[in-house]
Amino acid sequence: MPGNHVKAWIMKLFGRAPATDAMDCHEVGALLQHYLDGHIDAERARRIEEHLDDCRRCGMEAETYERIKVTLAAHRPEVPPESVERLRAFGERLARGEDPSTP
Amino acid sequence: MQRPATGDTAFERFVLPEIEVLLRVANSLTRNHAEAEDLVQDTLIRAYRGIDGFDGRHPRAWLLTILRNTHINRNRRRRPELLRDPDAAFDRLAAAPSDDEADATVDHELDVEIVRALDELDDRFRRVIELVDVDGLSYAEAAEVLAVPVGTVMSRLHRARSRIRDRLDRAGLAPRSHM
Repeated sequence: MPGNHVKAWIMKLFGRAPATDAMDCHEVGALLQHYLDGHIDAERARRIEEHLDDCRRCGMEAETYERIKVTLAAHRPEVPPESVERLRAFGERLARGEDPSTP
Repeated sequence: MQRPATGDTAFERFVLPEIEVLLRVANSLTRNHAEAEDLVQDTLIRAYRGIDGFDGRHPRAWLLTILRNTHINRNRRRRPELLRDPDAAFDRLAAAPSDDEADATVDHELDVEIVRALDELDDRFRRVIELVDVDGLSYAEAAEVLAVPVGTVMSRLHRARSRIRDRLDRAGLAPRSHM
């Protein structure tokens, strides 16, 4: 498209030539969640990152979702260590063929 | 309960290292520590009985399937929703130590809103967020726990996150995405 051609020419002029395989907002939107979950190959991740660096709207969208993910992970409830210990001892007694319910 | 040495080795190798993950997921399913511990105990017993038939591939997925079935069986005898405390996640967050700095207050507001939004999601959306984003399971592992296809986990997860995001937007806490 002539518009894209002019944009590429201007960006080149200012030293910011876009990669020819850059993704558009629609493509990035469809893959963003997979990208944030790390379920995407390195090549596509690189192309998404390029777009996120250049596009303010998608960059902010990604930032919001990332914040949601980080917050939820940070509020992972503590698993009581004594519960893990009790269950491990229970499992070890099972493995030894002992009655697991009587320590 | 004597078992051949090979079965015991497999149990120790495949099952014991997964206890913490099992307990974490059991906590998400039951939202009750004592209940979760009982659920994992029953799961360990079933895994021990079934270890000879296990092929050694994807032990976590295998164990999560046992955990889910055990949970369903236990629920047939009980009404688990009566035990669910809808404010549990919020209470945990409210109990978190606060910081006096202004930035931290804004961050704290955002965090509170995110956790509130999570608690208000429908069960099927909340569960998938808890398993993947809170408990750290992969899509495939969450699919095992919920007994749904991986594609369903992904679509529920994405819709759930989008609902949380919309709520932040309405509360004026999300960065503005419009130019």
